[in-house]
Amino acid sequence: MSETIIKQNTSIWDYANPTRFLGIADRIIPWLGGATILCIGLGLYLGFSAPEDYQQGSTVLIMFIHVPASWVAMMSYSVMTMSAIGTLVWRHPLADISLRAAAPIGAAFTFLGLLTGALWGKPMWGTYWVWDARLTSFLVLLIIYLGIIALAKAIEEPTTAARSLAIITLVGSINIPIIKFSVDWWNTLHQPASVSRLAKPAMDAVFLYPLLTMAVGFSLFFFTVHLMKMRNEILKRRIRTMKMTAARQAERG
Amino acid sequence: MFGPHTAFIVPSYLATAAVILILVVWTMIEHKAQRTEIARLEKSGIKRRSDKSDTNRHG
Repeated sequence: MSETIIKQNTSIWDYANPTRFLGIADRIIPWLGGATILCIGLGLYLGFSAPEDYQQGSTVLIMFIHVPASWVAMMSYSVMTMSAIGTLVWRHPLADISLRAAAPIGAAFTFLGLLTGALWGKPMWGTYWVWDARLTSFLVLLIIYLGIIALAKAIEEPTTAARSLAIITLVGSINIPIIKFSVDWWNTLHQPASVSRLAKPAMDAVFLYPLLTMAVGFSLFFFTVHLMKMRNEILKRRIRTMKMTAARQAERG
Repeated sequence: MFGPHTAFIVPSYLATAAVILILVVWTMIEHKAQRTEIARLEKSGIKRRSDKSDTNRHG
């Protein structure tokens, strides 16, 4: 009887229970990982079999990693912003775990976006770096990520850190629309959006398909590693609780 | 291999592959270490608060 009642009351929130989350994560991660490998594999195949661009030549190959890496860097921050709201509004521990887990992945992809951008800029623009609005705001994103990671490590007690992390993440989220619209608001050396436009993308399908496949692959990669890191963070807190319980028991004798 | 821009394309792909591999391997090593640590703590008789299988519960 009691079991049927529990079953009836199962809601989406039950999946947010950390123990249940671990079980689901264990089952999903291998499939997500497999899908990531397939998708990136297909993207690489399509990318390397695409012809050279009439203006950019073979450097169009850099686009297939530069653009998806930069998109994932911003998507990661969006996930963190939603998690921050989850922490501040619902005070859900999984929201904080999600925020912490996404930060290093986002930082890694921001670094990749900057690095591949520099390596693309040199042959195309004649310079590795310019202080234009898009590049600068993207560098600011990396600094914000590093600040959040440093703050997460600085405060030992996770529940105390959660609030500060959520607030600083929300403050930093102002940078995301600035990055997105920097190419429209200011006169930048970086080109404006060529895929996500209201009109049809300013790119031929022969380049668009590998780009989108790689973008899906990179996103799947993000969600795989995000789940893996969330699982690690839950286990880390479990170990912390166990050690504290042990210390209390030892004190009592 | 990719014309005059090979020196820019190859490092881009190598760096991306390296970062992706480091992220995955680092996360997997972390996971293994934590599973080992939990097993060690459980072996030494420490249970989690929510573990109902514990027959020697305090309080």
